[in-house]
Amino acid sequence: MDKVASLKWFLGIFTALFVLFLYGPFIVMGILSFQQGPEGGPQFPIIEWSTYWYQHVFGIAPPSRVAPLPIGEALFRSLSLAFATMVVSTVMGVLTAQAFRSQFRGSGVVFYSVILGMIVPGVLLGLGMALLANQLGIDRNWWSTAFVLHVVYTYPFAFLVMLAIFNRFDTSVEEASLSLGVSPARTFRKVTFPIIFPGVLSAMLFAFTLSYDEFPRTLFTGGSDVTMPLAIYGTFAVEIHPNLFAFGVLTTLFSFALLAIYGILLTVSTRRQRAKASGLQEDIS
Amino acid sequence: MRSNKGTWLLLAPGMIWILLFLVAPLIMMVYVSFWTQTTFSIKPDLTTQSWVNFFSSDTYFGALLRTIRIWLTVLFVTLVIGYPVALFIGQFIKNKTLQTALLVTCVIPFWTSFLIRVLAWRPMLGKEGAINIILQKIGFIDAPIEVLLFTELSVIIGMVQIYVVFMVGPIAFMIGRIDESLIESARDLGASATTIFRRIILPLSMPGVIVGSIFVTVMVLGEFATASALSGRKVNLLGNIIITQVGSLKWAFAAVAGVVLTVVMATFVAIMLRIVNLRNQI
Repeated sequence: MDKVASLKWFLGIFTALFVLFLYGPFIVMGILSFQQGPEGGPQFPIIEWSTYWYQHVFGIAPPSRVAPLPIGEALFRSLSLAFATMVVSTVMGVLTAQAFRSQFRGSGVVFYSVILGMIVPGVLLGLGMALLANQLGIDRNWWSTAFVLHVVYTYPFAFLVMLAIFNRFDTSVEEASLSLGVSPARTFRKVTFPIIFPGVLSAMLFAFTLSYDEFPRTLFTGGSDVTMPLAIYGTFAVEIHPNLFAFGVLTTLFSFALLAIYGILLTVSTRRQRAKASGLQEDIS
Repeated sequence: MRSNKGTWLLLAPGMIWILLFLVAPLIMMVYVSFWTQTTFSIKPDLTTQSWVNFFSSDTYFGALLRTIRIWLTVLFVTLVIGYPVALFIGQFIKNKTLQTALLVTCVIPFWTSFLIRVLAWRPMLGKEGAINIILQKIGFIDAPIEVLLFTELSVIIGMVQIYVVFMVGPIAFMIGRIDESLIESARDLGASATTIFRRIILPLSMPGVIVGSIFVTVMVLGEFATASALSGRKVNLLGNIIITQVGSLKWAFAAVAGVVLTVVMATFVAIMLRIVNLRNQI
């Protein structure tokens, strides 16, 4: 038993080091984002603490030789692309997972071909799509060729989340509703959907964040109007400045805000469900 | 039981999407790899010239070998680092909330842009980077270690940090699912901790290892950004080759590299899926 206890300690310390390894670059990035500007570079030591690079990201810093990040339009494109991707892939994910609730022939093939979308590396898919678009004479744009690939990528995630939800789903409530003469569409809206809503939210969160950060698929198919990740990639070739780090910190905060919204929506929906259920029980008794 | 027609109606949007935007592009890539490449354009005259060029050129064949080497290294390291962490989370943390909290802690870095996460390694590994400064401060080394940045090592470190979570997640999930009574009864019957690990935990965690390996493999093989950001463009993976070839309009050649990459990946995934049926694990 002693051996197990010491193993537990060893693994615990190992895990702590692991977390440090995961977060190390972030901590360094966070510190360096407060580097003095505009002369301070993206390395130690900190010459003087300042918020110069944050002002630089928002375009309110005095002009300098460091080009501002093309945030306005690129960010708008990324957000609208992520939104559209989220809507389409969540709807398709729910539909496909719904189909998987009954046995059907060829379900294995369908399953793996959907999964393929998240497995095939983005650079290959981007290349294939660019070739196809060239061949058909279609212009490559972030809202057309890039968009369809984003959906190919996020739809499997939505599908898997919904599949997991449906697997733990008590079908008798639906059957009760159907046998009471409620139409299938109305049953889906009134019975099924409220139950699967947490899953739908998770699928949406997945789709949105994956698409927002998606980069290899967009590289060849996005055309000349860049999205946010492409804009960042563009700075790879030239010297990097701490404004990228400041931007990284800001996007992380933005993601946390998204997560918080997700958490709140989830809590509200479960609380409402619970309130409804207990109200119903009181009615019965 | 719904009618079969209803099922296919539900499947139609997804299947059509996959056919048009996933299957068709991949077929196109294979097809174009046999086109004739001239200096600035490609013509649909079938030839194996690009294939011959690929395998007879040291640069490209070398890139293939390098890609395979880095992939296997990253796969091995993520497994060696990831398994103990997953074991700790899945087996030693009994409190479900704490378990979830730990897993979420591992996932949080994901919500920062992938590219910025890669760039964040530069001030970490550089000659005047955080690691060298700390090691020098504590007197562990006298002179800064220079091999940390802009080498193959930095690419491997960066990739391990980014992808190790995909190894930890599935394994921790599988280990966490192991029925506690199974382990208890083994212990009651006098099995040692080592035996319990070898005969119960290890086999039951295998699906997690397989799924994790598939994730890490497909992501590392499709990589190019980490290599170009952390190696100073010195380490060229097949992904980087594709990028530069497309940049110089050598589409046929990029397609060859793409097909080669697909074949390597598909072979590995097919072998892995022989061992475990992914669908039964959800």
